[in-house]
Amino acid sequence: MMSPAAVLKRAAPVLACIGLLAVWQAAALVLKNDSFPTAVEAIRAIPDILGDKEALINILASLRRMAMGFGVAVLFSIPLGLLMGRSRAVAAFFNPLLMVIYPVPKAALMPIIMLWLGVGDITKTLVIFLGVSLPVIYHSFEGAKAVEEKMLWSGAAMGLSSLQRLVRIVLPAALPEILTGCRTGLVLALITMITSEMIARQSGAGNILFNALDMGQYDTVFAMIIIVGAMGICLDAIFERIRARLVRWSEPQFDMPLSFS
Amino acid sequence: MKVVPSRSSEWVSPVTSQKPASAIIEIDRVSQVFQTSARKDHLALSNISLTIDEGAFVSILGPSGCGKSTLLYIVGGFVSPTSGVAKIKGQAITGPGPDRGPVFQEFALFPWKTVLGNVMYGPRQQGVRASEAEAQSRALVEMVGLKGYENFYPKELSGGMKQRVALARTLAYHPEVLLMDEPFGALDAHTRTRLQNDLLNIWERDRKTVLFVTHSVDEAVFLSDKVVMMSKSPGRIRQVIDIDLPRPRRRNELLLDPRYQKYVVDIERMFDESDEVGTSS
Repeated sequence: MMSPAAVLKRAAPVLACIGLLAVWQAAALVLKNDSFPTAVEAIRAIPDILGDKEALINILASLRRMAMGFGVAVLFSIPLGLLMGRSRAVAAFFNPLLMVIYPVPKAALMPIIMLWLGVGDITKTLVIFLGVSLPVIYHSFEGAKAVEEKMLWSGAAMGLSSLQRLVRIVLPAALPEILTGCRTGLVLALITMITSEMIARQSGAGNILFNALDMGQYDTVFAMIIIVGAMGICLDAIFERIRARLVRWSEPQFDMPLSFS
Repeated sequence: MKVVPSRSSEWVSPVTSQKPASAIIEIDRVSQVFQTSARKDHLALSNISLTIDEGAFVSILGPSGCGKSTLLYIVGGFVSPTSGVAKIKGQAITGPGPDRGPVFQEFALFPWKTVLGNVMYGPRQQGVRASEAEAQSRALVEMVGLKGYENFYPKELSGGMKQRVALARTLAYHPEVLLMDEPFGALDAHTRTRLQNDLLNIWERDRKTVLFVTHSVDEAVFLSDKVVMMSKSPGRIRQVIDIDLPRPRRRNELLLDPRYQKYVVDIERMFDESDEVGTSS
């Protein structure tokens, strides 16, 4: 049997959702605005979207681009961040570049990228890639920088070459920090995914959302917001599971209950 | 500072009269300069020459900031001297290698590996088969008194246990020289004493060459065949003292031995004279 406190802890996120929906429902009933459907109306519209083949293809296309952009960004950013963290020359070269790119909203680059690469998958995937890369590079960099020198010396004494030390000592030692960056990156991937589809309307979950907005189908708009939100929660929960498994050995960190894990 | 106090001249050993041991480490006129700020250079080590015989337990003793750890890092190949040369078996040291195994005050264990994984790391890197490396490592874990903790992660261990793992991890790849950098400095007094005893027991079995950095006079005298006293700013060797006490050493006998007590008191007095060690630990 779980203690009452444990039951409450488990139920808290669910209660929070129910609370949010209740506030929404009440607000919508009070305001009686056409562009603000009630929670019940929005939830009723969800099966219509998920039952529609066209809509599902759109959503899956979004997820494919997101997975692609996220995956490539992680594969590119982790080695770069680690190298920057261990080599002053590499850091000195890339840091100013990243500082320039960092504050620019990645979606703001879209019109230019669209001019070059069109409105297709490549442009949207590239924008997601840009959005994800920076936090992953930053956290990999910080993680690699913090690796204890003596740990690397111990490895060197065992005969590990500098490349082996990077892969077999710096990478695992920095992994908790790297995965923190990846988690931020995952949420950013979802955000940039929707924004990119808002700018380059052609397909995707964002396209459904903004088309519905144009046509005044507000229940569909809010249903899509719920669907995207649920996707974010699920992805984050899955990622958190994987993360916890990979870095079980590290110190327990204070963790905000962002996910349902 | 170069003048040897006359009273202590009895400690100065001109060429040891015992069996002629062969030198395994030779440090020849090594100096180390660190740049502390843009224009200021700090002379951490000044013209250090020292020979360490194979199988000897040698402590480097001095106040903090005297460069004793730096000297150890130079022998380890982790730091290159500004001038001079350090040699192992006649070969100039150019980098780290498995013939010199470090044990650090900070333990520096691999936190993502279990106790067994840490100890097996070196042998596996040297190409020892997994089953063989595991068997050897299990034996080593038992030797350092951690049987039953093979599958624990470092974060689950106390400081003393971590240092035991670090020692086993280094012994696992059979270095010819153990380089111990204030290994018990971060431990409480009780744990420290126990680890000193255990280290002596392990060392007296196979008599590996040990270079042991410490700021504790008791520790240096208790463990060593030879104590290298250093002074600071700039770090230089002040005196080398042979510790002529019988082995195997047992703590309960040694602490009552007037010869041990005399070594400790004399060394402390020498440090006090130059006011370099305020209170020795």
